[in-house]
Amino acid sequence: MIARRLPMLLMSAALLGLAFVFFFPMVWMVMSSFKTNSAIFSAPFALPESIDLSRWTEAWTVGNLGQYALNSAIVTIASVALILLLGAAAAFALSRYRFTGRTLVLSLFALGLILPLQSYFIAQSTMFVRLGITDTRVALILPYTAMGLSLAVYLLKVYLDALPEELFDAARIDGASDRQVFMSLALPLLRPGLATVGIFSALAAWNEFLLALLYIQDDSLKTIPTGLLAFSTRYVTDYSLLFSALSIVTIPMILIYVVFNRHIVEGITAGSVK
Amino acid sequence: MKPARAVTPWLYLAPALLVFGVAVLLPMVFTVGYSFAEWDGFGPMTFIGLDNYLEAATDPIFRDSFVHVCVYIMATLLLEVIVGLLLAGIVSAVAGRLWFRVAIFTPVMLPMVVVAVLWSFVYNPDFGLVNATLDAIGLEGLQRVWLGDPATALAAVSVVSGWVYAGFYMMIFYAAFLQIPHEVLEAARLDGAGEWAIFRLIKVPMIRSAVWVAILLCVTGGFQGFDLFFVLTNGGPYGATEIPTTYLVKTVFRNGDVGYGSAMAVILTAIVLAVGLAYSRLSSRQRGGTASPEVAARDVMDAGPPLVDRLVVPEEAT
Repeated sequence: MIARRLPMLLMSAALLGLAFVFFFPMVWMVMSSFKTNSAIFSAPFALPESIDLSRWTEAWTVGNLGQYALNSAIVTIASVALILLLGAAAAFALSRYRFTGRTLVLSLFALGLILPLQSYFIAQSTMFVRLGITDTRVALILPYTAMGLSLAVYLLKVYLDALPEELFDAARIDGASDRQVFMSLALPLLRPGLATVGIFSALAAWNEFLLALLYIQDDSLKTIPTGLLAFSTRYVTDYSLLFSALSIVTIPMILIYVVFNRHIVEGITAGSVK
Repeated sequence: MKPARAVTPWLYLAPALLVFGVAVLLPMVFTVGYSFAEWDGFGPMTFIGLDNYLEAATDPIFRDSFVHVCVYIMATLLLEVIVGLLLAGIVSAVAGRLWFRVAIFTPVMLPMVVVAVLWSFVYNPDFGLVNATLDAIGLEGLQRVWLGDPATALAAVSVVSGWVYAGFYMMIFYAAFLQIPHEVLEAARLDGAGEWAIFRLIKVPMIRSAVWVAILLCVTGGFQGFDLFFVLTNGGPYGATEIPTTYLVKTVFRNGDVGYGSAMAVILTAIVLAVGLAYSRLSSRQRGGTASPEVAARDVMDAGPPLVDRLVVPEEAT
């Protein structure tokens, strides 16, 4: 019995070791956030003497982290809402109607699935400068929505295609209008697909960096990635403050991930295919 | 499918097409246009034909940036795809271990900038984890200024990328492994095959299409990598980590050479699309169909079979 279970125990121990090494940078980050700068230098591996959250509160207040988080939340929520609504409507048209130009529209969105950001962001930035929308949230919401639409249209169309045609025929025979079919039949049935697209789009918007770097100079409008970078250049040698800021940004995301890990893994892997 | 009034579907398409057209398609066409011009972004624009492309062909920095990104892609194929495959093999051979998969996938969640700032500390020559570990195990001689040494900077950035994405590919492969029929694996075990042989000779060949998709994602994603490089080294030291994306951002937004930057962007786009197209040719020949962006996109969607099964067949419909 013991001889049979030993290899499994060894395997568990090996995996635990591997996960520990893998996770250690994040453990070290949190440990260091409780230390003084001199302790960070003198004993990198030592446990902190106490759990001192004073540098966390300092990072939160002097570092503007609350404002960055709020900006990220606004931009993310607006983009995701638009992606889901516009994406579902477009997918509904492509899945449920046959019309001239359908194949062309489908291939345009399919092209968007593999089109790199580099193919359009230069002219996009000159366009936004000319329109005078840089340093507004629209400058992020608009491209994030556009970038998310390809995947949304594609995935939601796959979902809608899988629904039985009879459902829609029955609704129409009962006298439902196009709008009623979309709002009361298609949208509710699309819920799992909307969740997948929503999770992927939310993380993409929350984490996006390059466009946020180019379009937002005003510190009070910066999102978490660019805000944190600005923070790290302002307090470049105050390591304990920087570790605190990193911990503040990282820990809530890890907690959300641990709670919803199945949905999140599914959302990211299904969506990253882009 | 309904052949209704001609205008109805377009009403549903219009908002999405408008946003996509204004923010992606139109700028893409303009970027191609800029690539044939000499322009600083503000003043008059001069048409100069293919001069920007000729400049790109002879620019040693641009050439080196491609060498760097190719080295980076090779490194990430090893550190992300191969390591991900091995990890998936391990977790699928020993059932359970959800906590392990959850842990290894964690960094995928985080903003790349956060990861990059954290790893700039991990590589810090004075208190960073890497040098501190070498010191602790008596290998002080190997200590380096990892990101400041041209000999190690590119490898150091690649390792961070591996740290983030190994878990991502592990999940894709793990999902694919779950699709392999149990009887196949049971039969092999009855025949006395060891886990390593099963992994190498049965499991990996059976998820070949998922492996190809992973390679496609890793290569096309590698060409577009930016955040890690920008924050960790921004092309330095001495240009050792300059990749096309960091170079073209500098060209356009620091040197104000919009025309030349656009030409580089078009070249980069062409390469990414060519890789995608080559892939779709390859996979459509295997299934005897025709190549198209839609085929490529669908194959990509088909990558993680169990995931896609859940996606393609919505719960309510079954």
